This record gives sequence, C-alpha cells and structure tokens, in this order.
Amino acid sequence: MRDTTSGCARNDLIETLSGAQLTAWQTGRLREVTNHAYFDVPFYRKLWDRAGVEPGPLRSLEDFERFPTISKHDLVEAGDGWTNPHQGPVAFSTRGTSGAPLLVWLSAEEEEAYIQPTMRGFRWAGFRSGMTALLMSPVWHRLAACEAHAIARLGGRCAFFWGSMGSEFTDSFLHTLSSQRPEFITTTAPFLLSLIRGSHGATNRPHQLFKGVRSVVVVGLPLTPRMREFLRDRLEVEDVFERGGTQEGAAIDECRWHTAPHVHEDVCYLEVLDDAGIPVAPGSRGRLIVTKLSTAGSVFVRYDTGDIAAFAPGQCPCGCGFRRLKIYGRPESSVLVGDRIITAYDVRMCIEEDPTLVGRNVLLIREANARAGVLTVAIEGEAHDPAKLQARLREQLGVASADLVWLGDLRVNWGFRQVLDGRELQLPRS
Amino acid sequence: MPTENPYLLFDVPGGQLAFGDGDLDVWAEHLAWCYRMMGIPDGSTIAVQDYGSSPISFLGSSLLMPGLRRGVAERFDGRFICLDASAERVTLTPALLAQLSVDALVIREDVLELLSAELRKKGFADLAQRTMKTIVVFGDEPPALNPVRLQPSRHFMHVESALLLAPQCVKCDCFHLREGFYEVDGRMIRNLRLAAPPYYLSRGELFGPSHCAAGIHDWCIGWSPRGRGI
Repeated sequence: MRDTTSGCARNDLIETLSGAQLTAWQTGRLREVTNHAYFDVPFYRKLWDRAGVEPGPLRSLEDFERFPTISKHDLVEAGDGWTNPHQGPVAFSTRGTSGAPLLVWLSAEEEEAYIQPTMRGFRWAGFRSGMTALLMSPVWHRLAACEAHAIARLGGRCAFFWGSMGSEFTDSFLHTLSSQRPEFITTTAPFLLSLIRGSHGATNRPHQLFKGVRSVVVVGLPLTPRMREFLRDRLEVEDVFERGGTQEGAAIDECRWHTAPHVHEDVCYLEVLDDAGIPVAPGSRGRLIVTKLSTAGSVFVRYDTGDIAAFAPGQCPCGCGFRRLKIYGRPESSVLVGDRIITAYDVRMCIEEDPTLVGRNVLLIREANARAGVLTVAIEGEAHDPAKLQARLREQLGVASADLVWLGDLRVNWGFRQVLDGRELQLPRS
Repeated sequence: MPTENPYLLFDVPGGQLAFGDGDLDVWAEHLAWCYRMMGIPDGSTIAVQDYGSSPISFLGSSLLMPGLRRGVAERFDGRFICLDASAERVTLTPALLAQLSVDALVIREDVLELLSAELRKKGFADLAQRTMKTIVVFGDEPPALNPVRLQPSRHFMHVESALLLAPQCVKCDCFHLREGFYEVDGRMIRNLRLAAPPYYLSRGELFGPSHCAAGIHDWCIGWSPRGRGI
C-alpha cells in the first residue's frame, strides 16, 4: 500500500478490495449492524418484527433490501425506543429543514471509524503533512467534528475562525484567512458564495486573501461544473472539491477527477431507490437511503433521507472502486412541478449555460400553479435573455412553462434552503 | 510565554488562542471546575449554545478536538449537546429540548433573547425553566434583568481573548478567578496558563483571597445586584 502524491491517494486496505470482496465485507457489516439493532435498539426490533424480517439470515444485499425503510418522523416518534446503549456522549442536531430536528449521537468508536474516510477525502483533495487547514466549526455537524482529528493525524495544523456558517461571519472568516494563510479550507458553498457577493467594491478582493490556498472543500450545495469553475476562478484557488454527508451517516468525497463524489464504503452503505422502493440503475435518480456501518452512535438502518441522488455509472479514472454518488437535491431545495421533481441543481444547470448568469443566487418558488406544470424561478440581478432561458428550462426540465422573477438589487441570503414560498417574494415577473 | 508548536489556532473576538500539546486538557479541567462551581453535578447532560470556536464548545468532549484526552463530557461522565449559536440553529433548540431532558443549558447572552422568544412561541418556556439550569455566558458585565428572557440560574463570565473563564459561585454569588489560572494585579487580570493578553476589569468589585470558602485562594469579582441581572 502506498500514499501517492498525485491522483487519488490510496493507502487503506478497504480501497483495494474487488467489487465482490467489498460486497461480501459490507454484507458482513450489515449483518452485524442489524443484529445489534434488533437486540439492543427496541425501535428496530418492533419495526422488523412487524415487517416479518430478522437479521439472523441476512446473507446478501438482496436480503437486506427486505428491511423496511424508516424516516426522521419515525425516529422522532420512537423517542427513547431508538436509544442505542452504545450511542456515545456527544449529540448534534440535524437542521430540521424537513420537519422536526433530530439529535444524533456520536461515540468515540464511531468517530474513529469516520476519521479514516475524512483523512482519505482530504488526501484526495490534496492535503499534505505540514499544511494549515482552516476548518468549519466542530460543533456544526457530526462530520465536521472529525475534520480536526483528520488534519492532526495527517500532520497538519488546524485554524478556526470566530462564529458560524452564516453570511454575517464572512469578515471573521476573511480575517482568519489573512492571518493564518491556510493552504486548505473546508467550508460550505453558500458561505463562499456569500463571501464573493459581499466583496463587490471591497478594497481587498477575496482572491488576494485566498492566495496560497491550494484546495477548498465545500459541503452544503451540489456543485454544478460551472459553479465549481466560478468558485475556482473568483477565488483563484487551485481546485474546489465537493464533500458531502449527512448527520445520519452518509459520507462522500470527490477525487481530483470530479466525476462525482465517491462513497466511503467502509462507513456507510448507500442505496438509491425509486418510489416503489426498488433500487434504480446507476445514472437514474431516486431517493437516498442511508445505513451506517457501525453499531456505535445513533443507529441508522435504511434511513430515507428524502434526498434526491443517483449513482454515477462506470468507473472513475482515479481507479478507486468505491461507487460515486451525486446528491442533487434535498426536500428544501426541490419543488414538484406537475408530476416532476425539479431540483435547484437542475435549474442552475440550465441557467448557467448563459455565462453571465453563473454565480447568481437562484431560488425555486413554490406556488399553486406548479400543479399545472409551471416552474417559477427567482434569479438575482437584472434580466438577461429571458426568452432563451425560459425555452431552455422548458426543454431541458420538461415543464409546461417557466416563469422568471428577476430580483434586481434584492439580495437573498445564499443558504441551504433554495425554495421559497410564493408569498415570501412579491415581485413583477417577466 | 507563547505556546510551543501550536497545532490548534482559534481566532476569537479581540485576539487569538493557540494551543499546543497538553494545553487543551488543562482548560477542559478548568471548564469542568467552573461547571462544578456553578452547581452542575457529575453525570449531567450539558447543552452548549455557542460557536464552535469558543472553548465552552470545543472543550465539551474529546470527540471535538484532537489532543484533548478528556473533555467536559468525559470528566463529568456525562453527555454534551452541541448547539451552534447561529440564529438558524437557535430556532431549533426548543424542539431538541422537547426530545431530551437536559440538566444545564449554557448559552451566549447575545442569543438568549432569541431562544426565549422561540421557547415562548412553542409553549415550552415554563417547562424549560423548571427542568434545567440555564447558565448565561457574558463578556464584560452580566446582563441586566430582562423579564421576557429565560431567567438564568447562574452567570458565567467568559472573555474570549484572555481565555478568562470565571463561574458564578453557588456559595458567594461572585465570580471566581481560580488560583493558579489567573493572577490579579490592580484591576488587571492575567492568564497564567496560556499566552493571552491581560484583561482589564473596567467595572465590578474585586475581592482578594479568603473571600469565599468555595475557593479560599481565589480572587472574586462581584457586581451590584443590578449588575448580576437581579
């Protein structure tokens, strides 16, 4: 095993397994996790008894597919029945964008398991020993808590700015950026976009402060190819990587080929299902289902995230055998138009075909006429070629018509939520 | 003396904190001492609504920081709930408190009003007041009494740039400057365990050692009743 300095560094055993070996290994882990859940977490025992499944005979991934999926609502309702005796001492909250927030527990054993893939992802993104990393707040997300541990083990220094991930803290971030001169940054895409937008007219342009930054790793927004270019060019950094994950255990990271983030198959087993609960083929979209391959921390078995995702078909040129998964949208970043789910990502893909519109904030508007197939989109700034854009949205997204709202000088915060209710925005349309 | 080979750097309002090998455990032990001084018993579930770059947050557990062998959760054999202090996250806190019984909620003074309003909106304010201790973290001076806010059980003085952590004692109601951690010279308070600029106490009354039996060698800071939010 070796740690290469170019391409996707690979130095853990799990990455060297063949497809069949990996499947066998994951099946074993799933058997262990389901056995633990059945005997130690009352919620699962009750659920699976009712569904007539039991973990003992689990011999294949097909066996595993017979287990029912669960939702956040189920877990909130379960209360103490979902408690794992090994859940650990630290809890994080989910963002509550799809209903009530949920407290998710982390244990030392589980964190240890997740530090390894974090190190792998950071190596893929170019982190090397001796570098300084400017990191997200460790209390912001379960995966963020692993980041400083990963950097320390990779031989780096960690720097933290004061505050949180809201746009009101971009100055604080820039201050730390200029004083610490990190080579590596983890942050959220909405935060970076807010920072770029807020820098118009500033004496110090962001790229001056980002000088020396080699890699920026972002979470929180699926990057379109043009959005990645936009961030890279505006900040003048070497590369921008997409990282993803959920409090419920999904963990994904991009390699330098940017073909789609690789799933860290050693800590989570991910599925993409259609509305009937059947796995979809790579390249097709469906709902993301997460199972954490650990008996420690909060136990998630076939948890339906509500996210819209697809596995990428074929192999990545980097040679890593881990599947690749793109998460296109979450419930808070998609709207139903007619009978189609349209994500903000899809809309941005259409909009960004016009280079003048790249980097503008785009919001989907949830309105009553969506039932009749009308997609309503709000776009920051002045109108640009609206007729062509409407035609593109209709053709590429298969909607009956597209209504555009140009926001002019109105600035709506870049955020994880990319859908507004129609009543929240009253502006003339084109 | 500057920290040797710092591997963790935190920008805080008015300065920077740098930690090297072994430093974090010194401060986690001190933070645990502060909680005990405020009447928090072992085995407690402590929720902290603060930014991740605040030591009150990142010293909460060894799971949050590399090089921290035992954070507050481990020292209390208790649990630690990470609640970021951004406005978006504060609005989620009432729903989380409804899911889990918390012994102490430690909250930044500047978001207390928002949380109080959210608790009232959800009809949870009275229950929260009855079931948990609320510890309000302030900087230079305790906030004045505000009846519409969740009423604090204790206050906790935290001056970020000086890493000054002074708990309000359950015995004397004053704020203890722990012996061995802080040195008082006139109204200047110096950190003895970390390279940090001294803090000038502009208001409040300073009492020398022997003021309180709970920390016989500690200096203490006292405020008038109004200054204590009473």
